[in-house]
Amino acid sequence: MEQDSTLASEKKAPMLIVDEISVSYGHIQALKKISIEVYPQEIVVLIGANGAGKTTLLSSILGVRAPSSGKVVFEGKRIDKNSVDKNVRAGLCLVPEGRGVFASMSVLDNLLLGAHHNLANKDKNLARVYEWFPILRKRKDQIAKTLSGGERQMLAIARAMMSDPKLIMIDEPSLGLAPIIVNDIFDILVTLNKEGYTVLLAEQNAFKALKCAHRGYVLETGTISLSGPSSQLLNDPGVKAAYLGA
Amino acid sequence: MQVFIAQILNGLSIGSVYMLLATAFNLLLLVAMIIHFSYPQVVVFCMYIIWLVLKITNNNVFFGILAGVCSAILFNIVSAPLFQKIMKNREEVDINATMVLSMAIGWIITDVLSHAFNNGLPIQFPEEITGSKPLFRVGLISILPGQVLALTIGIIVVAGFFLLLYKTKTGRAFRAIAEDPAGAKLVGIPLVKTGFQSYALSGALGGLTAVLLIMLFHSASPGLGEQVSHKVLAVSIVAGLGNLVGGLVVGLALGILEALVQGYISGNWSNAIAFVVMLVVILVKPRGLFGVKI
Amino acid sequence: MPLSLYYFLSITAVNILMSWALYVPYRVTQLHFITIANMMISGYLAGYLVLHAHVPFVWALLIGFAVGGIIGFIVSLFIGDAPTFSVVIVGFTSIYITRTLVENLPIIGGTMGMFGLPNIGGNPVAHRWIILCILYGLVILCGFLIYRFDHSSIGRAASAVFVDKELASSLGIDIKKLGMLLQTFSCMLAGGVGVLYGFIYRSFHLDFFSFALIGVFMTVLFVGGYSTQWGPLITAPILYGLPLFFPPEIQSWRIVIYGLLLILVLELKPEGFITRKFVHSLGLSFSQKRGKEIYIKEDRQ
Repeated sequence: MEQDSTLASEKKAPMLIVDEISVSYGHIQALKKISIEVYPQEIVVLIGANGAGKTTLLSSILGVRAPSSGKVVFEGKRIDKNSVDKNVRAGLCLVPEGRGVFASMSVLDNLLLGAHHNLANKDKNLARVYEWFPILRKRKDQIAKTLSGGERQMLAIARAMMSDPKLIMIDEPSLGLAPIIVNDIFDILVTLNKEGYTVLLAEQNAFKALKCAHRGYVLETGTISLSGPSSQLLNDPGVKAAYLGA
Repeated sequence: MQVFIAQILNGLSIGSVYMLLATAFNLLLLVAMIIHFSYPQVVVFCMYIIWLVLKITNNNVFFGILAGVCSAILFNIVSAPLFQKIMKNREEVDINATMVLSMAIGWIITDVLSHAFNNGLPIQFPEEITGSKPLFRVGLISILPGQVLALTIGIIVVAGFFLLLYKTKTGRAFRAIAEDPAGAKLVGIPLVKTGFQSYALSGALGGLTAVLLIMLFHSASPGLGEQVSHKVLAVSIVAGLGNLVGGLVVGLALGILEALVQGYISGNWSNAIAFVVMLVVILVKPRGLFGVKI
Repeated sequence: MPLSLYYFLSITAVNILMSWALYVPYRVTQLHFITIANMMISGYLAGYLVLHAHVPFVWALLIGFAVGGIIGFIVSLFIGDAPTFSVVIVGFTSIYITRTLVENLPIIGGTMGMFGLPNIGGNPVAHRWIILCILYGLVILCGFLIYRFDHSSIGRAASAVFVDKELASSLGIDIKKLGMLLQTFSCMLAGGVGVLYGFIYRSFHLDFFSFALIGVFMTVLFVGGYSTQWGPLITAPILYGLPLFFPPEIQSWRIVIYGLLLILVLELKPEGFITRKFVHSLGLSFSQKRGKEIYIKEDRQ
């Protein structure tokens, strides 16, 4: 289902502003003066090939790597020099590539870890998460290692919800999942968004991601090569050739 | 037969001390991500502090124990920034540097103890804290209160530790970091703050262990720290670095092995035999019996 | 020569050699503390042979080297590629076991120690000169051997292993063989040095071989710089010599001072004072000077 891209820009201020950040690993520049914006209640997708810099961008926003130049502003406050846990407490969270689930701990423990900074609301959030993902309630005492790929992805998203985030960043949610499950996951993301969560998502599976997003950015070797409403990107011949398997 | 039973009891009580030391060592390894070679020397240092406080307060056991636990926690917390700074010298966690740092701390402690306390002679602890009258005597088997306390406190503390690990917020954070420090960071677990908590907790464990050692040995010497430290390190590696349950099992086993050897062969050799056994195991399986976590 | 100079020179040589004995295996991240046990075993063995079996010193020294090498080789069969931690524990337990053996064997002196080793060369003066010559001959020999190793393909392989063991082995480097080579060399060296160490004082005593001895060698190595062989050459005389200018009360705290120094270096200058970059830039500036001279000479012609 395509989204209405005019949700962005006109009325509200952006929730997240990434302003010309550059990030290097030693001598290798992974991101070169990247700027993106995310408005409240949008789903924004970053598409690009492996190594284009999507994960670096998300982890830099989170605070794992400080950018060597530029700044990141979240809800009006600069966050690029903050530690990760400070940013998580401020309302950011990341569902990392590879699920971000602790395989040796139980489902419930994983969820409670998500609530590390938000234990006051844990009962309310647990109830909500179980309502959304009944399979997690069923498996709550099982070790996360025993979950299937799709269930782990659900757990990772549920874990993110436990912190009552304002912006959920997700890195490659479809990786390694069967197509049917991927559809389920993207449906969940759209529903989350309808509930009020803002989502910033990095995906190689450009077609499905653009279908459910409002806007998108195309990353190529550390720079933004294209951006715009998702419908526009879906019809762009360059994007089609490179990422939509036309 | 009586010797056998007596020695099993001895072994269990000293084994429970090894258990506590191995657990604290593993905690620091898994959560603070350091190899603290001289943690047992810190414990022996606390024994000396307790001795000093007992002397000053005229054998007030309560203050002695309080001083012991507090000094252990303090020592650990103060040394935490030293460890945390050198961990970041290379891009990844430089765990070898923490080894060298902790060794240096150990040498300093041992030397300070040999110079500044009692002229380097072994110190004796008064009866108020050691309690040397047997609770129960049958032939050669005499159960001293120190042994009973060591074993029961050891079991209670280990049980409490596992309870903390599995049922509390801090424990969850510990386990997350133990499994995957980078993943824990991404989820928002504060690595430095949680690491600090592990320093404090192992300090508390250390203070308690110091009291138990006093009850079991009734005396301490500057060389005790090195001796115990090498045993605990060997226990950790035989069990597999970072293996909590393995540490418990091997710690108890070592205590019993030592006690049995002591019961039947002259004391000088008991330590050496324990080390020979562990050396052989390490040579054959350098990564530990139950596998390495690191 | 005055006795104090003799002790200064001889102990400095021992410190240099033993720091090198630790330097070599550390090139592949292994802290090979079993070398202290090698010192003891070869030392007491040689002492016994000379004192009680009347074996000539030269033979006893060579046997000391050989025994060290054999022990090093056998142990390296097991821990040639073991993680640092295991190697350290093997070292500590070996030292402990050796100390217990020495304590409880009266023929080699037990806790009293072995005294009255004969003067090599017949009189005290000749003895001291011979010991110093052997020690510094060894320093030159080992310095040369280590230099050749560092600048060979094996040396480069070792550097690769230090940075990333897995990557190195995927490049085809045989970690175990390399570890075995370095460990055996290190133990052989330590055996010989152990013999000489006792003969400096003409006695062997347990106090010579305490765990704090590791502290001395480690401080020399790490403060000097563990990535090149030149660090220990500079720090050994300084670290041993400087305290000699202080009153004895301060000198007795030597180990504490070394420990604090080691901690300071680890925190502030983790690579030590003499790093590879430093040596490289020194070399560059020398070669630039020579280049200029040749240029001028050619110009004149």
